[in-house]
Amino acid sequence: MGKFAYNKEVLANLRIDEKETHLLDRLIDYESARAAHEKKNHAAVDKRISIQEAIAEYVKPGDIMTDTGFAYVRTPITAYLEILRQGIKGLQNIGSPATNQSWMSNFGAVTHSHWSYCGAEMRGTDRNMSRNVKKGLTKVMSEWSHGSMAQGFKAAQLGLPGVYSKQLLGSDLLKYNPFVKVVDNPMKAEKDPCVFIPALYPDVTIIHVHQADMYGNCRIYGPVINDAALAAAARKVIITAEEIVPASAMRNDTKNVVIPFQYVDAVVEMPYGALFGSMPGCYYWPRRLWEKTLRYWAYKEGAIEEFYDLFVVQCKDQFDIIDKVLGGSKWMADAKRLTKAEEYDNEDIGVDFHYTEWTMNDPNPDDLSA
Amino acid sequence: MTDSRPANPLEMIAYVLSKEIEDGEIVYIGTGLPMVAGILAKKTHAPNITLVYESGAQNPIQGDMPWSVGGPATWRKSPLILEMSYSFGQLYNGYVDKAFLGYAQIDMYGNVNTHMIGGDFHNYKNRLTGSGGNNDLSSLARHLILVGLQNPQKFVKNLDFMTSVGFLTGGDSRQKAGLVGGGPMAVITSAGVYDFEPVSKRMRIQSLHPGVSPELAQLATGFELLKPEGQIPVTPIPTSDIIEILRREVDPRGVFTSMPS
Repeated sequence: MGKFAYNKEVLANLRIDEKETHLLDRLIDYESARAAHEKKNHAAVDKRISIQEAIAEYVKPGDIMTDTGFAYVRTPITAYLEILRQGIKGLQNIGSPATNQSWMSNFGAVTHSHWSYCGAEMRGTDRNMSRNVKKGLTKVMSEWSHGSMAQGFKAAQLGLPGVYSKQLLGSDLLKYNPFVKVVDNPMKAEKDPCVFIPALYPDVTIIHVHQADMYGNCRIYGPVINDAALAAAARKVIITAEEIVPASAMRNDTKNVVIPFQYVDAVVEMPYGALFGSMPGCYYWPRRLWEKTLRYWAYKEGAIEEFYDLFVVQCKDQFDIIDKVLGGSKWMADAKRLTKAEEYDNEDIGVDFHYTEWTMNDPNPDDLSA
Repeated sequence: MTDSRPANPLEMIAYVLSKEIEDGEIVYIGTGLPMVAGILAKKTHAPNITLVYESGAQNPIQGDMPWSVGGPATWRKSPLILEMSYSFGQLYNGYVDKAFLGYAQIDMYGNVNTHMIGGDFHNYKNRLTGSGGNNDLSSLARHLILVGLQNPQKFVKNLDFMTSVGFLTGGDSRQKAGLVGGGPMAVITSAGVYDFEPVSKRMRIQSLHPGVSPELAQLATGFELLKPEGQIPVTPIPTSDIIEILRREVDPRGVFTSMPS
């Protein structure tokens, strides 16, 4: 008998064999997560290393890895590209949202998916992910909503076995999630169905932040999403940061400091590390790039190979993305202007947000600078 | 020069949706047309509303049309941004008045599918985005308003997957399942506005847009639509002033309200 009592009907619905349930265990195994946290060096030491070292040291085949930020906002996408460059295989992916698992599942990097959302809103549905799941390149291990998955991460941060939730009830998500169970609220005199959501402990999380000090204290500007909870929960934490600041900067101004150093294993200085996504306060989305991703690279069967060739092979890092794909220093200035104007830290009168959407008949399909 | 074209179907949906918002309310906004409707309401009849987004962004000052629910326009000069788990917590705790959501398929009880089309879980035609915040809002919202296009592929007898629960199997089945909130109060489509009959909780015509007959609405629907007593009202259309605000100030680039060519 396994360690956890998964619902057999749900396992059957997901076609998860009894022999595969060990793949599920680590996500809810609070004892092993606690042991991993106990084993870390708890001293504040200089944790700065390169992205190559961080990925090689802390991302191992089979790990349950997170997608952080918000799909294409403050997400450590260039670190994910490094995972592909190093050829690390067989990761499970979890995140709310978890949009970047799509292109990571074509090349064997992601082979199992805990799903709450994969896509880019109105840019179009992700046909690549649809094909990949159907072909078995990645296997859906659990279905969630944003909020219920967020509650699982938050429960871990709070140091709780789990939470009672009112989400998911009555829906088909319950039939495809082996981690949740319908239970009655023990305090109500009358029957009151709730969903028990266990605390969720991923193996490794990579979080892109605005500032970190060398010990791993981190400042995030804009939406934190689930990342403060994920930093507390994950067994291994890699921080990529736009800037490394002196530790005194965090003490002098505590605003937006949301991750304490003790959770963090590695700190990587990585300006433009959220590319090809956006970074609040720093750079706006390359919008045409995202449209081309959903409408061509992900849409057309086989085109994802071109995506791989461009971002993983031709581009060795985020600076190559700026220089070879986005148009260099002009893009940097434009992207900074757009985000700061939209945030209204800069004057927005006279700042033009118009651009031409990328379409299949685009006259300049390689121009992704807007 | 003033653009005098009448509202296109997407602009009409955005307008009708905006009219569901009352001044002073807190409104939880999904991506797409709900963003347009929320901002239109704020610029017209409901200036004192607070818009909340699933990224945790809330209460921005007015600015450009958001390109994404996670983008800076959704938290432009916000006093604070909540973490995702806390943001959804506002729905359970009673701070959200209305929630707006889209659908890929909807059935007669307002249950919604955003997961997959055709076949079953393992052998489908297309897998879609999945729940995102859809299930959370449906499970918890005090008043839920669903918005989208209407045709027999979208208004279906049986969902291919039930991502989110509206009134489940009708009657009191939603409450019995343990869900909180009132469930869907309206469905707003390219053809009309629908509510749910209070006892059976089946979808019912509330009003139809100009030029849409009950027969046409039924033809666009894969289940039997209930009809109200007496004459079916015609949905009021936006005035030229409101269309002007929509085109000039709310979605000037037509991100969500220009018709696909």
